[in-house]
Amino acid sequence: MNQQIRTIADLDRVIHEPGRLMIVALLFAVDRSDFLYLQHETGINKGTLSSHLSRLEEAGYVEVLKTYRGKVPQTLLSLTGAGRKAFEQYRRKLKEAL
Amino acid sequence: MDPVGSLLDRPRFYYNIDGMAELGGSVMCLGCALLLWLSANSVWRRISIFAFIGLMLVIHYGTKAIKTHITYPRTGFVEYRRRYRRLTTIIAGALGALVPVGLVIGSRRHWDITTPASLMGLVFAAAYAYQIARPVRWKWVVVWAMMLGSLVIAFVPADVLGALANDSSAAHPVRAKLGGTILLYLMIYGTMLLVSGGISFWLYLRHTQAPAQEGR
Repeated sequence: MNQQIRTIADLDRVIHEPGRLMIVALLFAVDRSDFLYLQHETGINKGTLSSHLSRLEEAGYVEVLKTYRGKVPQTLLSLTGAGRKAFEQYRRKLKEAL
Repeated sequence: MDPVGSLLDRPRFYYNIDGMAELGGSVMCLGCALLLWLSANSVWRRISIFAFIGLMLVIHYGTKAIKTHITYPRTGFVEYRRRYRRLTTIIAGALGALVPVGLVIGSRRHWDITTPASLMGLVFAAAYAYQIARPVRWKWVVVWAMMLGSLVIAFVPADVLGALANDSSAAHPVRAKLGGTILLYLMIYGTMLLVSGGISFWLYLRHTQAPAQEGR
């Protein structure tokens, strides 16, 4: 029981938040996607999604690339190597804890 | 499946959110059926390989154009992982190569492979269920229709199948009954995919709207 609690306490807090977990899981399955796709799939509003992405970018888990699709600005997002490793580790620990 | 696991599957299902995978499949099936019919004529037979390449190019660039101009501005852009894309191409290529090789071997050795060939629709229905129908409840109707279609084709009398293949080149490389089975498959499954993909595309257009500008 103590071991279980310790494993839960060890979970990566940056990824453990439900909104950020959704973002990281979606990005883990692709090479990259844009902001609109994440908004559509997660159902999170622009402001909240933006703040989650900033937090993930600060942690070095997400790479943000600002570009244009024709004349329309486009924000491309991808998981960094550290982000992929952190997510894999998070899933492993979560399985251990449950 | 755990919730995180289901999130990992979502990008794969997103590919057909607009019904483009089904519409592409339907154009391929119906186009191949038409080519089989036309290539019974000697002029068409000579250019059938070019017509087939043209058909593949239309599917590839047509799908890409619709995704770029309609899907990405409405619900977002996704670039799939290279490893996954490579794996899909290898599996599709291997299956695509195995089917004609099996048919040629079977026909040369005079095996009666008509009934097993008729049941390949069940495999197709299972693949459709796993790849496309899982997240969309109404598409299970299409899965059942595919399974039923496969069983019906298996019981179609040989002379009807032979007559169907008679005026097409399908009767030449393989026996008439098998040729008729293939033609019937291409026509029925192509039509099913066309209807299902068309409904998906219509629903997609109805429930989404292109945003004026993306921002963050």
